[in-house]
Amino acid sequence: MHAADFGMDTITLAGPLAAKLAAVRAAGFTQIMLSARDLVGHPAGWRAAVAEVQASGLRVTGFQVLRDFEGLAGHLHDYKVDIAKAMLEMCAALRCRVLLACSSTSQHASGEPEAIARDLRKLALLALPHGIRVAYEGLSWGRHVSEFPAAWAAVRRADAPNLGLGIDSYHILATQTPLAPLAEVDVTRIHLVQLADFLWHEVRTPEERMTTARTMRVFPGEGVHSQALAQLVLALDRMGYRGDYSFEVFNDDYLQLPLETVAARARRAAVWLAEDVLGRATPPAGGPRLRELG
Amino acid sequence: MNPPSPPRETPTPADNPLGLEGIEYVEYATARPQALGQVLERLGFSPVARHRSREVLLYRQGTMNVVVNAHAGALPPAEAPTLAALALRVRDAAAAHARCLALGAWDAPVTVAPMELHVPAIHGVGASRIYFVDRWRDFSIYDVDFVAIPGVERHPPALAGLHWFGIVQYIGAGRSAEWIHFYRELLGLRLLAPDTPLGALPGGRVLQSPDARWHLQLVEPTGADAGEGEAERLHRVAFGTPDVAAAVQTLAARGVEFLDMPQAGAARGALTRTWLDGVMFELVRATGA
Repeated sequence: MHAADFGMDTITLAGPLAAKLAAVRAAGFTQIMLSARDLVGHPAGWRAAVAEVQASGLRVTGFQVLRDFEGLAGHLHDYKVDIAKAMLEMCAALRCRVLLACSSTSQHASGEPEAIARDLRKLALLALPHGIRVAYEGLSWGRHVSEFPAAWAAVRRADAPNLGLGIDSYHILATQTPLAPLAEVDVTRIHLVQLADFLWHEVRTPEERMTTARTMRVFPGEGVHSQALAQLVLALDRMGYRGDYSFEVFNDDYLQLPLETVAARARRAAVWLAEDVLGRATPPAGGPRLRELG
Repeated sequence: MNPPSPPRETPTPADNPLGLEGIEYVEYATARPQALGQVLERLGFSPVARHRSREVLLYRQGTMNVVVNAHAGALPPAEAPTLAALALRVRDAAAAHARCLALGAWDAPVTVAPMELHVPAIHGVGASRIYFVDRWRDFSIYDVDFVAIPGVERHPPALAGLHWFGIVQYIGAGRSAEWIHFYRELLGLRLLAPDTPLGALPGGRVLQSPDARWHLQLVEPTGADAGEGEAERLHRVAFGTPDVAAAVQTLAARGVEFLDMPQAGAARGALTRTWLDGVMFELVRATGA
């Protein structure tokens, strides 16, 4: 299988950063998605956390999460620019190439497409000298942008080369967003794909989606939307997506299980995706031949 | 090459949002200012002034100013000279700075001693800075912050018509689109056609300032392991000269060594050898400035 295509996220695991890094590595993963909290909550300071990550040998899939950035004005905008810069500095120190920014939930944020695009363009420019790409993700409880087609429209309007989409299967499953509009998306602008399922059949209100998203997600293959999730992964693969997949699994139960138990579940999800969904272990047609003709 | 001719009309504010009007100075940082100074003197520059409060020298020839900064800030500068800053002439420095910050540039805080000019800056590639200068018509910034070196010609003429042609920036693989966006968005530079022949070396993308006075060439690593582990940075300056062969001859007579060039490129440009672990200069056939 191509385990290198999938990675875990520290938000799924309890305990100190070093233990999370060790558990993820021990389960055979080569990459990890980090949160700013992993760094700033380190007892020896965020620089020590960066050194720990680098010593682990794990590649950093992405850095999360910048919230509620776009659509603000005046002092609120200036405040968020400061937050964004501080996050970009940590992201750069990790030599991480993707910053995740999720759509605003703030009632102070404008829904004007022009204002949203202007702010995203600015965020991308702030990230640019650091070699960081911005993955903009529509939260399913976002105030003005809550599904990936709207997030893609904002990205297109902002039109910056290092600004793209973050796709999270949870939100697509939660809002039951059709996959057809994926055809409109430039695959080189999908900067990150996060995968998770959940255990309820439906989450009807934004409040329900938020609560479920933050406490009851499960790994791909463990929930009740396996087929829809597999369709999403196949659609991304068919359109040529070759970037990273990260398991964005917030789950209160997993936070009280031994790390190796949780990492083993993640490993099972990676195997399910690689073998059963993508069939990557199967040699493709046009693969090696016993003897080349002619 | 066919040097891009300056526009016949003054650029409109929309074409030139910062009111760029050429390069005020280029700054090197180094812990070996004398060694770099000797290189610059071979190239025709003369030391003309000394900073009032810091270990900084101003070199000049013709219209070109080069600042050699050996001042230790929080950290001493590296031994090997680095291109640390590009200072641009603009219509209104404060407005240019504010506009760039609003678009997403990083402010580069400057520390000034009493009675010195506060020249606003933003961060450029790597550790480099882009300064904005608007006091150049009525008086010069050097009149304030620098003291003339006694007995030297303050405006030494240029050798072989040398003038600023531009800067070459090394960028990461696949980063051209991003850096092109950076310079268009912030400075209003325009992208020249990919096949515009400039200088001795092909390759890279070339941006031109809206006033058509200077250029910025973005060069991605070529070859499988080229540039591995190297940081993105301003790599070298390029001097324009109407006659590359004559300039090469003049400079060679002063002890400047040039790299061998393919015949096709030799009329268009030339590259000097490298001094001091990485400092090199380029000549490009160009009129004007």
